[in-house]
Amino acid sequence: MQESTHPDPLGRPPVIEAGHDYSTVTGKISDIVLRQSAPKAWFFGFGVGFLLLMLLNLSISWLFVKGIGVWGVNVPVAWGFAIVNFVWWIGIGHAGTLISAILLILHQSWRTSINRFAEAMTLFAVACAGMFPLLHLGRPYFFYWLFPYPSTYDVWPQFRSPLVWDVFAVSTYATVSLLFWFVGLLPDLATLRDRAISRPVKMIYGALAMGWRGSARHWHRYQMAYLLLGGLATPLVVSVHTVVSFDFAVGVVPGWHTTIFPPYFVAGAIFSGFAMVLTLVIPARKWYHLEDVITMRHLDNMAKVMLATGLIVAYGYFMELYTSWYSGNIFEMFTSWNRAFGPYGYIYWILIFCNILSPQVLWSSKARTNVPLLFVVSLIINVGMWMERFMIVVVSLHRDFVPGAWGMYVPTFWDFATFAGTIGLFLSLLFLFVRGLPMISISELRELAPVGRTAEGGE
Amino acid sequence: MSQLEFTYQPPRALVQTLAALVGLGVLTWVAGLFVDPQRAWGVLLMVSFWLLSMGLAGSLFVGLQYACGAGWAVAFRRIPEAMTAAFPLGAAGLMMVFLFHPEIFPWVTHHGKAGSFHAIWLNRPFFLARAIGYFVIWFVFSAVLIRNSQRQDVDGDMRHTRRNIRASMAYMVVFSFTFALASIDWVMSLQPEWVSTIFGMYHMSGLFVSGVAMIILLMLWLKRSRPLCDFVNDEHLHDLGKLLFAFSTFWMYLYFSQYMLIWYSNMTEETVYFILRHEGVLKSMFLLNFILNWAVPFTILLPIPSKRSPRVIASMAVCVLAGRWLDLYMGIMPPITNGHVAAPWMEFGMMVGAMALFVLAFLAWFRRAPQTPVRDPLLAQSLSYHS
Repeated sequence: MQESTHPDPLGRPPVIEAGHDYSTVTGKISDIVLRQSAPKAWFFGFGVGFLLLMLLNLSISWLFVKGIGVWGVNVPVAWGFAIVNFVWWIGIGHAGTLISAILLILHQSWRTSINRFAEAMTLFAVACAGMFPLLHLGRPYFFYWLFPYPSTYDVWPQFRSPLVWDVFAVSTYATVSLLFWFVGLLPDLATLRDRAISRPVKMIYGALAMGWRGSARHWHRYQMAYLLLGGLATPLVVSVHTVVSFDFAVGVVPGWHTTIFPPYFVAGAIFSGFAMVLTLVIPARKWYHLEDVITMRHLDNMAKVMLATGLIVAYGYFMELYTSWYSGNIFEMFTSWNRAFGPYGYIYWILIFCNILSPQVLWSSKARTNVPLLFVVSLIINVGMWMERFMIVVVSLHRDFVPGAWGMYVPTFWDFATFAGTIGLFLSLLFLFVRGLPMISISELRELAPVGRTAEGGE
Repeated sequence: MSQLEFTYQPPRALVQTLAALVGLGVLTWVAGLFVDPQRAWGVLLMVSFWLLSMGLAGSLFVGLQYACGAGWAVAFRRIPEAMTAAFPLGAAGLMMVFLFHPEIFPWVTHHGKAGSFHAIWLNRPFFLARAIGYFVIWFVFSAVLIRNSQRQDVDGDMRHTRRNIRASMAYMVVFSFTFALASIDWVMSLQPEWVSTIFGMYHMSGLFVSGVAMIILLMLWLKRSRPLCDFVNDEHLHDLGKLLFAFSTFWMYLYFSQYMLIWYSNMTEETVYFILRHEGVLKSMFLLNFILNWAVPFTILLPIPSKRSPRVIASMAVCVLAGRWLDLYMGIMPPITNGHVAAPWMEFGMMVGAMALFVLAFLAWFRRAPQTPVRDPLLAQSLSYHS
């Protein structure tokens, strides 16, 4: 184990504060679910989420009754909020898989306190994202046409279309993320089963734990399965947003067709995902008094990842801008100019502020350890990344090659309502998760508890 | 313990052989100038870019370790540090091309539309000024990193590590922008009408993966020939193997992204790049590039035991280095020779010369300091960790 709880030569804070052993760790996390009543903030948060969820119900029902015309989409801007939201939510999901899978195979023990939470966030974000392409279908009741089932009509999906690749990429991602999350939960579900007081609760957790007894054989197979799933999930982190970037980059629309899109989308996804994890973890850690297991080390590391991925995103912006001028292609040059000084110019400057300027404060270690500031920066980045997708989708479309085909996109009330509604779905699921399941992996946290280690380090 | 007991003297016979190979390379180049000057200058551009990349890969590796606060690679950090010795040699070779045979770049003779960004960016004085600027920036950062690391050998002060962490973070940012622009200047502008936004990142990934391959080979050699045998073990090899595997795959990802998007969209101004590289012999070399740089290393390095076997991992490092040469050839030479492939005596002779020159420069630098950073506070971690 590379990192443990003793101070290291670089003086970084520990990944778990002193004073914890196996039983305190187990008690602390499982009591949140089993013994404590929810804090007031939980009721407030869930209430807001639930109300917004009802708004989602309403807006989807209205959409199904009236059709896509209730949104602001038109020709030439045939992709509006729905695709912006789709890309935004999918991107947010990436941090979960990065933390759980990539940091697992890199032996980064600091992932332990935040991986469960981030994985849950991934699942809920993918649920929100997955709805949009279906809602965007003119006839959503034919959604199953996207799958290559043996149809008697001999109608097959267009395999050359990146939209079909999306179906495979996103559904694989959702499946593997769910499996990964559930397999990781098994030992903890058994812990909850063993510590539950009332019989029905015991039975529910018992059924979910699938007969986990914690025997050496169970652990052996569990570790192997977990590592394999981690290996499988790793390429998925990259592939999903790569395919999402293909949705744009294979087209010949200026501002979409650029070869840097795949890596730049993946970096942007991780950037926004970590911002969302921070947005959620910072209040949760305060409400549930988890400062000793989600330590400053975690916040500091997440801030560093945000800074690094934010710089990659800045590199992407710079390369796009530079190459459009270098190429001398008038359509590319116009697109760059139009982004900054066209009718949607304010979007561009907001996103430059949010995604490029604001993360620069994270260079300072004082800023990275200032929790309220981190929270604000993470919120700003969430906004900025949504603006970035708006710029890519709408600003590229609204100026077609011929000025006669130019148009504007004005979102309607139902555009905003659907977007706010998915935030409600996300929050509702997240608050239910925090209430009913251990939000930090108990079994993995036990491994970090400084029991049986010498104070000076070593194994 | 004195520092002298850690300094390394390479065998004399080895140095003489390497010097002879360098002489062979120079002779090949001079002969090439008489036979086919355009191609000879092109190959000089290619080998100089390779030398420069190897040197930069060294400082990039060191910088990444510092920026991430990583301790595992400290035991063999002197290898990437000494690799940076190749950087001034590559820079000198590139300057020779830029000063004495700039016609290798088509924009020197055929200017773009006056006043356009293209014409302003690609003109000789500005081009030369930029090149010198990049060299100075990279040189200063590399020198700072190495100086602080060597000063720590004397006093073991943690402050040097902290300084290097700060310098490295700045270097990572500056490097990615400057190297991307430099690779556009020196390689992409050989076909000035063609653009690809991923190009800089693609060249960075090639630079890094071949640097890791070179570190692996040098580490295995210095372990076997004694200087590093007490400091490095299978754990270091395993982690370097993981890096080789990961960045070979990263290279493939960028290669595929560029190729797939251009192939799919099928726009004339973009496909010219690949059409030029799809004719005759070049077509099989184009496929071989993909196989050497990714397919073979990926398949072989997937199981754990192969990442811990010196023999397997050394052969994969050789495979990636060969792939790197091929990748550079495919990137640089076809526009210069108009896609014509002749018997490659010039390329091989100068490649061998460049590699011998690299090893000579490496050895000259490596023996100037203790072969491991003896008083780095993270050395203990590096010696005892498990991957």
